[in-house]
Amino acid sequence: MSTTLRRKPGKRGHAASEASTVEPRDADGADDTKALPAVAAAENGWFRPSAGGWFARAAAWVLLLWLILAVPANVLSPFDFGVSDINLAIAAVIFAIIGLSLNVLIGYAGQLSLGHQAFVGIGAFASAYVVTNLGLGFWFGVVVAAGFGAVQALALGAVSLRVTGLYFALVSLAYGTFAENSLFAVSEITGGEGGKPADRPAGFAEDQMYYFLCLAFLVLVLWLDWRLTRSKGGRALQALRENPRVAASYGIDVRRYTLLAFVVSGTFAGIGGALMAHHQQIIVPGIFDFQLALIFVVMTVVGGLRNRIGVVIGSAFFAGLGEGGGSEGGGFLERTIGLPAEFTGIVIGPFLLLIVITLLPGGIGQLIGPVKDWMLGKRFDRNAGKLKEVEVSDVRA
Amino acid sequence: MSVLDVDAVSIHFGGVKALQNVSLEVGEWEIVGIIGPNGAGKTTLFNCITGFYRPTRGKVRYRGRNVSRLDVHKRAALGIGRTFQNVGLVKGATVLENLRTAQHLETEYNPWFGIAGGLNSFIEEGRITRRGRQLLALLGLSDVADTTVADLPYGMLKRVEIATVLATDPDLLLLDEPGSGMGPEEAHGLGETLLALRKQFGTSIVMIDHHVPLVTQVSDYVYCFNFGEVLAEGAPEHVRNHPEVARAYLGEEPVEGGGAEADAGTESGTAGTLPVVREEEYA
Amino acid sequence: MIDEIGAALVIGVLTGSVYSMVALGIVLVYRASRVFNFAQTEFGTTGLFAAFVAVELWGWHYAFGVLFGLAAAVAMGLATERLIIRPLRDSSRVTLLVGTAGVALAAIGIQFWQNNAQPIRQMPRMIEGVAGEPFGTPVTHQQVITLLVLLAVAVGLALFFRSPTGLAVQAAQQEATASELVGISVRRVSMLTWGIAAFLGGLAGVLSGPNLTFTAGFLTFGAGAALLQGFMAAVLAGMRSMPGAVLGGLVVGVVEQLGSLTLFDGVDGSRALFLFLFLLGVLLLRPQGVFVREKATV
Repeated sequence: MSTTLRRKPGKRGHAASEASTVEPRDADGADDTKALPAVAAAENGWFRPSAGGWFARAAAWVLLLWLILAVPANVLSPFDFGVSDINLAIAAVIFAIIGLSLNVLIGYAGQLSLGHQAFVGIGAFASAYVVTNLGLGFWFGVVVAAGFGAVQALALGAVSLRVTGLYFALVSLAYGTFAENSLFAVSEITGGEGGKPADRPAGFAEDQMYYFLCLAFLVLVLWLDWRLTRSKGGRALQALRENPRVAASYGIDVRRYTLLAFVVSGTFAGIGGALMAHHQQIIVPGIFDFQLALIFVVMTVVGGLRNRIGVVIGSAFFAGLGEGGGSEGGGFLERTIGLPAEFTGIVIGPFLLLIVITLLPGGIGQLIGPVKDWMLGKRFDRNAGKLKEVEVSDVRA
Repeated sequence: MSVLDVDAVSIHFGGVKALQNVSLEVGEWEIVGIIGPNGAGKTTLFNCITGFYRPTRGKVRYRGRNVSRLDVHKRAALGIGRTFQNVGLVKGATVLENLRTAQHLETEYNPWFGIAGGLNSFIEEGRITRRGRQLLALLGLSDVADTTVADLPYGMLKRVEIATVLATDPDLLLLDEPGSGMGPEEAHGLGETLLALRKQFGTSIVMIDHHVPLVTQVSDYVYCFNFGEVLAEGAPEHVRNHPEVARAYLGEEPVEGGGAEADAGTESGTAGTLPVVREEEYA
Repeated sequence: MIDEIGAALVIGVLTGSVYSMVALGIVLVYRASRVFNFAQTEFGTTGLFAAFVAVELWGWHYAFGVLFGLAAAVAMGLATERLIIRPLRDSSRVTLLVGTAGVALAAIGIQFWQNNAQPIRQMPRMIEGVAGEPFGTPVTHQQVITLLVLLAVAVGLALFFRSPTGLAVQAAQQEATASELVGISVRRVSMLTWGIAAFLGGLAGVLSGPNLTFTAGFLTFGAGAALLQGFMAAVLAGMRSMPGAVLGGLVVGVVEQLGSLTLFDGVDGSRALFLFLFLLGVLLLRPQGVFVREKATV
């Protein structure tokens, strides 16, 4: 099958014979290709690791999978992964999903959301309501949560078409505050301050199993996010973030694709919210406050905007800090500067953020760039993943 | 039937009349050149044709259809493609990626299927990537396919931009100073390329440029603008020797790049005689 | 009903005066650095905490405690400008916003940590007691003082921006390059602006704090939350006009209080709902601001 340059020859109905000064084109567009130079596969100079190199990479992958899959299950592992550890791991996976959700908005669409706690909370309570009040199953709950997440994001997205840049950030902030104080105060939906029960699905009630369930959702979200960036929609978003005029001149409908980003982000956030609700099993409205929204933004930016793996690591890291993790490091800080472990996250986190944005604009993604490329079979390059100037300063504002 | 028919278009920004009663016609497979000093309203006319500005008075017809009130992306779908004075490319992406982006309308799958990872999207991605590489090869740009746009020199960006706009499969190509930043030799080469492209793609072309030799070389018909009005029009030689045209340019040598009517394709325009139209005006 | 509306107006104006102070700081910083300063209210909470520590824990005289609080706020403002804003001045505005949010979060984190032993604190009032009861609603001396200080600050700022230094500051904010050429140091102007803004934030903190008990993040999302309201007032002022910021703060205060009318008792969080709808309405209908003189068209 040959590729044609003119996909639809004469599709706009102009007859070739009208122009006498120019040789008429072939009626069959496929023949146009003849005039084009053949393009060789651009594989020359491709780096191939040595046998040892392959082995080292394979070993790194096995180690990574072991850490993610075996250690939490206490299989083939010398560690004793306890209840608090597995809960930390679950929180990390859920935060990673939320981070990816926010990355779609801030990173891809260039829209700063300071009300993401509302996106997540709406998903959480939608799923809890479906499972507890309607008696429908967890799977139905997740779908409804994703749907509600998408619909409320769509509504906010419609606002973003009129109110842009930093002003939209304010609207999202007000929206988050409104959700926190109004929506989540409706006790039929949220169960009031006592919260709403949200049971886990049969077979996944155990922490370990629930962890793997969340992991499966993270893989799904990663797949969707990856395909988004590698397909039409992601490219359209990049074009309209960097240069809306050029995007429009390519025939990209700016409104449609901005809304698409909101819907994708809302769906991811809804899923994350549902998983969060069933993780905690009783979900209370009080946790969805502005501080949580700020932490979502911080973890995404520290992870590295538009860097999938960086965002996952950054989010997991902040989940750990927030859930009272890092007790070893905390112990050290407690001894030296008297900082108790439970405050490590909220004290150290913001300073990490400030360090990242002033010194390391690509975040964690920039740090791990060389390792990631190496593991994907490329040569180890210290500069891999370093951000270009233009990429740092292209959020719509 | 003419491809493009600009019918007595006027556009005012506040009190400034950027275009006054401008009429212009482009025939099938014609190359039309537009010359004129900076601030004459040339790029403003392009913005009216492509939909970034709505004319205050007058109509823009494309293949007989009144498109004056159509959105930019809808006009693009009809086959109006353009380049920008300050290079309209996605700077953070590679050249090949830009070619893929430009084929937005050519990419025949629903974006949602793309996100879900539908099989068809993979096949289509392969197809538009091949087509992108072919276009790059055609313009002699294969070597830079995987280079990030921000790392390329200006003159090359102009060529990449022509490749991207060809990738949109235009029937009417609007080129805003394609020869800027080029020397006489290169400009001549560009002229050859444009003539070849017309032959191969069968598009009509409207071109703004300050290289009068280039414009004369390729154009079938030339318009000269001054102060938002058509000063002279006709065959290239006729316009070139028109006394008014010489006067309009007197004391003002053609200036490369930038200028009063700098297009906000990549950054907002610099100060000049025309009011700088804020980017938000188009939304 | 009439009494209720009257009371809402009075309380609205009194709480609004805090929003006005916050909004003034936001507008000043925006004019100088084009930043939406999310740390503005944390300058206030930090100042409040510092004043509290000085007065209650160290036993300083109230006036010195307040001065110490203001000094702490200004120090934080200057540090923010020097350590975050200046290194990032070429970054995107969203990065800058995230940077100021990071400053706010850092301050909140430290407050949580330092306040761990007793999370809820009460700062004594400057003058205890009730000044009067218009429409049957008690108004404290503290609230009256806050409003008077706001008016004094507004007059002071107006005078300052008419002085030679003030004019230089304005020039530097509008035309940085040109100002450098005529010998105005844009850096110093930036420092000065952030210092003044932090001072205003600190005032908002030490004045509004004593009305309620306070916690970490008091002015940002705590009981005395004024961040969103301050931004709304600044939006009403077109992010530009200082008289607009003062007026805007008072209006936002009243709008918010109208949400507290018994009429809306059935609506959960009606104040937040009112604020959200009000902001939405303003941004959709008059994004250029309401209390701002039309800029002459260029």
